[in-house]
Amino acid sequence: MNAQKGDPTHMQSDQTGPAGTGTDVLVAEGLAKTYGPRHALRGLSFTLKAGRMLGFLGPNGAGKTTSIRILTTIMEPDAGHFTVDGISHKHPDQIRRRIGVLPESFGLPKQMTGIEYLTYFGQLYGRTASDAKAIGLRLMEEVGLKQRTRSLVSTYSHGMRQRIGIARALVNDPVVVFLDEPTIGLDPRGQQELLGLVQQIASDRRAGVILCSHLLSEVESVCDDVVILSSGEIVASGAVSEVIGRTEQNVIRIRVPTDAMDEAQRELEAIPAVHRVVPASGQPGWLRVELDEGASDDHPINNRILETLIRAEIPILSFEPEGGRLQDVFLQLTAGAIK
Amino acid sequence: MSRSASPVWRIVFWRELRDQWIGGKALSMILIYTILLGIYAYLFASNSELNLLPLKQMVLEIVKAAIFVGLFICMIIGADSVSGERERATLEGLLLTPTSRREIVVGKFLSALSPWPVALAVAIPYWVVLSKGDPALGQALLWGPLMGTLLAPAFAGLGMLVSVWCSSNKTSMLVSVALYLVLILPATYSGLATATVSSQAAEHSNLLQLANPLAASVRLLNDVVMSNAPVHRVWHWVTTPVLFPIIVLAVLFLYAGPSLQLEPGMQRLRPRPI
Repeated sequence: MNAQKGDPTHMQSDQTGPAGTGTDVLVAEGLAKTYGPRHALRGLSFTLKAGRMLGFLGPNGAGKTTSIRILTTIMEPDAGHFTVDGISHKHPDQIRRRIGVLPESFGLPKQMTGIEYLTYFGQLYGRTASDAKAIGLRLMEEVGLKQRTRSLVSTYSHGMRQRIGIARALVNDPVVVFLDEPTIGLDPRGQQELLGLVQQIASDRRAGVILCSHLLSEVESVCDDVVILSSGEIVASGAVSEVIGRTEQNVIRIRVPTDAMDEAQRELEAIPAVHRVVPASGQPGWLRVELDEGASDDHPINNRILETLIRAEIPILSFEPEGGRLQDVFLQLTAGAIK
Repeated sequence: MSRSASPVWRIVFWRELRDQWIGGKALSMILIYTILLGIYAYLFASNSELNLLPLKQMVLEIVKAAIFVGLFICMIIGADSVSGERERATLEGLLLTPTSRREIVVGKFLSALSPWPVALAVAIPYWVVLSKGDPALGQALLWGPLMGTLLAPAFAGLGMLVSVWCSSNKTSMLVSVALYLVLILPATYSGLATATVSSQAAEHSNLLQLANPLAASVRLLNDVVMSNAPVHRVWHWVTTPVLFPIIVLAVLFLYAGPSLQLEPGMQRLRPRPI
């Protein structure tokens, strides 16, 4: 990610880890889009490097879909520009040859088998029928659908549909892959398997992957970088660890048995660095421990809290420092914008 | 030696064709059409009152019915071609490929046209049987397929234009049916109105029929089948059936096709400067 200090819309690239030295496969600068009087997107700028995964986050209506539609050439920006593999967005046909897209909701034809579907799309990318079929078979194996090549796609389960959608996004060997909510509606195992597949795409193919998701934990676990949009603007961007580190971390949530809450509250309030302790609203058994300013920088405070509770023989059911997760960052930065 | 890739329009055409015929959309409409045509022909042949109609009239009516229904099928399939894909969420995948929008539209158009030759092939045996060897059959066999073949691309294209511009498939279907009715209703009475009115009213009626491609076609069929009119006296009725498809297809392939987008509506032809 390229560093442009002082400009919050540019990603801080030189802190994004070892892969930060890869080739820029997507560079967006100042993309804007309006629908009538409403600004759907304002000054979207970021860079994606080969082999990296970028999480694209934002509450509903933040401009994610508009961004993806612009970057995939389905829609034109009102201002700004972007390049994919060095190709300007003014050449959409050439960009389409270099990108693969799994839209959030995509339909499958009823009368086609899996391999026919991939062969069809391979042909649309200019391959001969035999080449397209060979590639389709390889992709079906890659996405774990080898046993279902001859089944009608209409008979596929939701997870299989997502997999064939990913396979379709790869028929042209793209340099950038856009995945819009690929795990939506999948069971936990299906989510995990699909995310593994997506990570494999980025690492084996050296493709840049943009992953749009509402599941922040999955973005945190698989993405290298993240862009958080709110009301059409970037509110945070950079390496995932770096963005998480920017949030306030002076609150700890602790769960204890409900009959021990009062005692736990008294014990914790006696610790000097603790500002106050209050029961978490609507969550029986949970205590919200607010620390003094700067206390969270002192890591032994966590140990002191735990030690206090253990000495008082209060069972600790859960211990969660707030602000240590992407979800906390997201909620802090998009507060008020969530619809 | 490696084989070259097929043109996009052909790939889209085969996929659409398969979707319509194996998927059953066109097939079911042709089946219904065949049954209706059979009932129509049976009534003409067996009903005592209809049986009193001159043979030529019977042939003309069955030719008209075949053309009307054949065109309707083409139009409905055209009306589903883009808006239907939008609703089934299959259009975005197609537009994300580096294929030319015009080629996509050409493939879809040819596929929407495919029911017409089938409808014609189904109808011709009925015409032959009903004519019982009347010389009118020759004229019907020449002019019926000719006029239908001129109009089928226009109706399929018109359905597609509506489909490109409508926000939902339901709207596309309703608008297409409305347009079809606007064109067909005057055509139903074409040739009858002029018989009982003054010469000035007949002239106005002729102009209206000339302006409506379907009514003009029916008028021509009426003149050649019923009156055995020579070609030089009826050629002017061919004008609108020729112009109509040219205009519709020009708009489809030169304007609507290249600007085909995921969102419905009349899109600009060239990208806005950035």
